[in-house]
Amino acid sequence: MKPAWAWQFEPGTLQRIDTQLPASIAREWAWGGSTGAGIKVAVVDSGIDGSHPLVGSVAGGAVVLADPDATRGARVIEGPHEDLFGHGTACAAIIRAAAPDAELYSVRVLGEKLTGRGAVFAEGMRWALANDMDVLNMSLSTSRADYYGLFHEITDAAYFKRAMVVCAVNNVRMPSYPSQYASVFSVAAHSGRDPFHLDYNPAPPVEFGAPGIDLEVAWLGGKTIRATGNSFAAPHISGLIARILGKHPGLTPFQMKTVLMAVADNAS
Amino acid sequence: MGDDALADLAQLAADLGPVLRPRGNEEFLQALVETARLVFDAAACSIALLDEDEEGLEFRVAAGVGAEMTVGLRIPIDRGIAGWAVVAGQPIAIDDVRQDPRFAADVAETTGYVPRSIMAMPLESEQRTFGVIEVLDRRQSGGEGAEDMELLALFARQATLAVETSRIFSNLGQALFEAAALAAPGEDLRSALEKRAIAAPRAQTELAELALLFHDLGRLGGEERLAAARIVDDFLAYARKRQR
Repeated sequence: MKPAWAWQFEPGTLQRIDTQLPASIAREWAWGGSTGAGIKVAVVDSGIDGSHPLVGSVAGGAVVLADPDATRGARVIEGPHEDLFGHGTACAAIIRAAAPDAELYSVRVLGEKLTGRGAVFAEGMRWALANDMDVLNMSLSTSRADYYGLFHEITDAAYFKRAMVVCAVNNVRMPSYPSQYASVFSVAAHSGRDPFHLDYNPAPPVEFGAPGIDLEVAWLGGKTIRATGNSFAAPHISGLIARILGKHPGLTPFQMKTVLMAVADNAS
Repeated sequence: MGDDALADLAQLAADLGPVLRPRGNEEFLQALVETARLVFDAAACSIALLDEDEEGLEFRVAAGVGAEMTVGLRIPIDRGIAGWAVVAGQPIAIDDVRQDPRFAADVAETTGYVPRSIMAMPLESEQRTFGVIEVLDRRQSGGEGAEDMELLALFARQATLAVETSRIFSNLGQALFEAAALAAPGEDLRSALEKRAIAAPRAQTELAELALLFHDLGRLGGEERLAAARIVDDFLAYARKRQR
């Protein structure tokens, strides 16, 4: 089974990257010896179960709720909270595996009702930026055209803060936000299982391929579950970014893209 | 309501009705889930739409195991696999859902049938998210060759077009009837529609204005109507191209 966009990473479809940089960047240089220590990663999702053995711990977080009376349509309640669905826990465990010493923060924006969802997503991203997160993992999207400007503004703010916004792409072939913007790391699933198997697609908007098909992922109640979706591919990239940042703090999002492209499995 | 407005409305409804009225939305969705169930060789396939308060999903059509019990069933949006797909705007497939204690308990309580696998995809247009299509226990295919999620996306697209067309039609109908209802004695439909356009929220204003244009177009000669239809056609082609 393949989520949409996975076809781009099929052998025979995926182009080789022939671009050569003046000096080569190897995986050893990129993340060798790094554990992601000192890097803050926000999982903007359904919450994280910090007691799950594959997650270990959660450093902090907040719940964002729609509130029509609030200035920006949403309010934030900081503090511990549960995972309503299991998905945020799955993402956290994937990131933990790649960057064992990164600090994981849960920003719960999914749940309750759907009304005001754009304002809630946006406020969650703002909270993450205000709290100096280095990486924002967003395995969620909206196709609503009226959110285009709002998310553009926030992803730009993230870029200027050197925060890496990693987004799963939608399953339909129309623009979805925030995965659509150039400064965002947009991710779809390839059919590989090796968590370090990374593809770079030279024909975006879907720019990175990572495992997301038929994976064993952490879920509610300390269990694991077999799952498929682009939403599981995104945290693989978030984890690698945290690992690289742990060794090379200060890289900008576009420098990070350059590093990931250079060490991709389909690079020369 | 004035006699003029009534006459105009009757004419407009007669002219536009057959063109705009989508045939049997629910029947179409029912046929769609039946087709999807056969294609996936699945135990069941269903479509649930969001409640007006956007806090729950109500199953509107279903095919396969437990279909009768499923239709009309309401599930909260803040848990479960289908709930996550809707709130995250992302498709998801889980192959051993019984590992999810909360999901299994919820489903068993409601339909009595606990599936092994579930694939759920949100139904959304550029304007809104409005539901989910899910497939339970599809055949376990070869993995590499199967492209179930891509296929489900096609069914989701069809369901989206059907639901959105139906919604736009009913909004348009509502705009027309409200205008007619609000018309003062002796007032014609044109000015009633203008008033309706001023009073309505933005999206509905646009529809009311559109209705007004069609009303005026209907009064032109054959050649003018044809030319107008071509312009609308060209615009639609352009707009679709822009969206891609």
